[in-house]
Amino acid sequence: MAQEGFDGIELVVRTMAQTAVDNETYFSELDAVVGDGDFGYSLARGFEIVLATWDDLDRSDAATFLRKVAVIITSRVGGTSGPLWGTAFMRAAAAAGSDRIGAAEALAMLRAAITGIKERGQSDVGDKTLLDALVPAVDALEGYLAAGQGAASAVTAAAKVARASAEGTSSMLAKRGRAAYTGERSIGSPDAGAIGVAVMFEQLAGAWPG
Amino acid sequence: MKKFVNDPKDFVPEMLRGIALANPATLRYVPEYNLIMRADAPSENKVSIVQGSGSGHEPAHVMIVGKGMLDAACPGDVFSAPPMDYVLETTKLLNSPKGVLHIINNYTGDRMAFDMGREMAEAEGIRIGTVIVDDDVAVKDSTWTVGRRGVAGNFFVIKAIGAAAEKGAELDDLVALGNRVNAVSRTMGMALTSCTPPAKGSPLFDLGDDEMEMGVGIHGEPGRRREKLASANEIVDELLEAVASDLPFKKGDDVALMVNGLGGTPISELYLVYGRAHAQLTARGINVRRNYVGEYCTSLDMAGCSLTLVRLDEELSSLLEAPAEIPNRIF
Repeated sequence: MAQEGFDGIELVVRTMAQTAVDNETYFSELDAVVGDGDFGYSLARGFEIVLATWDDLDRSDAATFLRKVAVIITSRVGGTSGPLWGTAFMRAAAAAGSDRIGAAEALAMLRAAITGIKERGQSDVGDKTLLDALVPAVDALEGYLAAGQGAASAVTAAAKVARASAEGTSSMLAKRGRAAYTGERSIGSPDAGAIGVAVMFEQLAGAWPG
Repeated sequence: MKKFVNDPKDFVPEMLRGIALANPATLRYVPEYNLIMRADAPSENKVSIVQGSGSGHEPAHVMIVGKGMLDAACPGDVFSAPPMDYVLETTKLLNSPKGVLHIINNYTGDRMAFDMGREMAEAEGIRIGTVIVDDDVAVKDSTWTVGRRGVAGNFFVIKAIGAAAEKGAELDDLVALGNRVNAVSRTMGMALTSCTPPAKGSPLFDLGDDEMEMGVGIHGEPGRRREKLASANEIVDELLEAVASDLPFKKGDDVALMVNGLGGTPISELYLVYGRAHAQLTARGINVRRNYVGEYCTSLDMAGCSLTLVRLDEELSSLLEAPAEIPNRIF
């Protein structure tokens, strides 16, 4: 019998993958301003394999499924994005457990993913990375859920926070990643990874049932 | 630069296939994961010893796979870390009830691939230990590392761990042993010429005919400084001083001395270097108990050498003396 809540995991991963593939050019153009312009390309090369192998991915439980995704992303996405996004899936897998996945479990998985990204990238909020969209969005999600909102409206509200936070990275100085090499030149443009997270949240809000 | 090469992207697989064909009884080549392993590995009674790194450093590490040394080498492309999924698959293939030991040179790419490979493999229930080698005294941080780089001293870590593993040592003890050997090993290298990666087809960096790079890394990374070419004795003395003063090695110490060729230096020159280094150590009251002269950890076709000193004790000496059966042979 399938793990309860597994369909939610599938929806999140599928939406992330489709978003990465659909926005390859857009994400690369954003990255070209301050980084080396390969972010969209790299991300799409990994997530397109997730989509191509979608039906064959091991679905024994959420942890196994997410570990398979982690291996694909880590080994097929080039540069530092592969290990960072791969670690996010790996840590989420480790936090998934084998019981029903509800709001509390989903938040624990997101928190584990954030911790993994911070450790692997030796970075934190304020360094002008995807964390600057992901962390405020997850904080918001937790707040809305705690306040009793349903999943669909909580995700929609979190997506708005993700968008505002991602746009807010424009004024930041990049301290990590390839963009850090460009120093002051990074000010004035948003971080491609943060925008990527925001677009993924927005697509998820549109796709969430209810 | 003239090279034996077909399609540069097949360079590493073609080399691995050659090694496997030359050693059919003892080695197995797994092309899916770019992997060379002992044909009889893994063993239920022995920790599996795995080294991963970029290619281009042969005989390290694909040619020191064999009884008493590595159970598998998991190389990446030339000067590139192995992909994480290859690390994971190698670890799974080598899984033993006694565990798997990863030996890694301290480079950012290698460490990230192995950190992730380890985390994935542990999630599948495999016991893993890790030893990081960082014996290069030349620079503290580099374009490729946080902290010191791992270079030819790696050979001693592998040799000691391989011998102890063969005797049935446990995973935790092997990790402690590896850290202990790394802690008493010091190396510095220098380049007379650049190297030429097959995919690039031209020298990696420019070094004038009358120049040398002191403290060069094994991927041609910058060292301490570039200077006018000096005499062999002056070069040896500078390398030796940098290495000996770092631990420091003291009067009365017993040491192993390695003169390692970087790929493009003739054996004659390496022995000339060895002669000076040995005499200088003797003059300092340091006893050279074991010596290693030849190519151990190269940088493709770079001309140059590195000097490694390892402080010996009885246990380490006996582990270094223990027999091993590896494809790097002349008989």
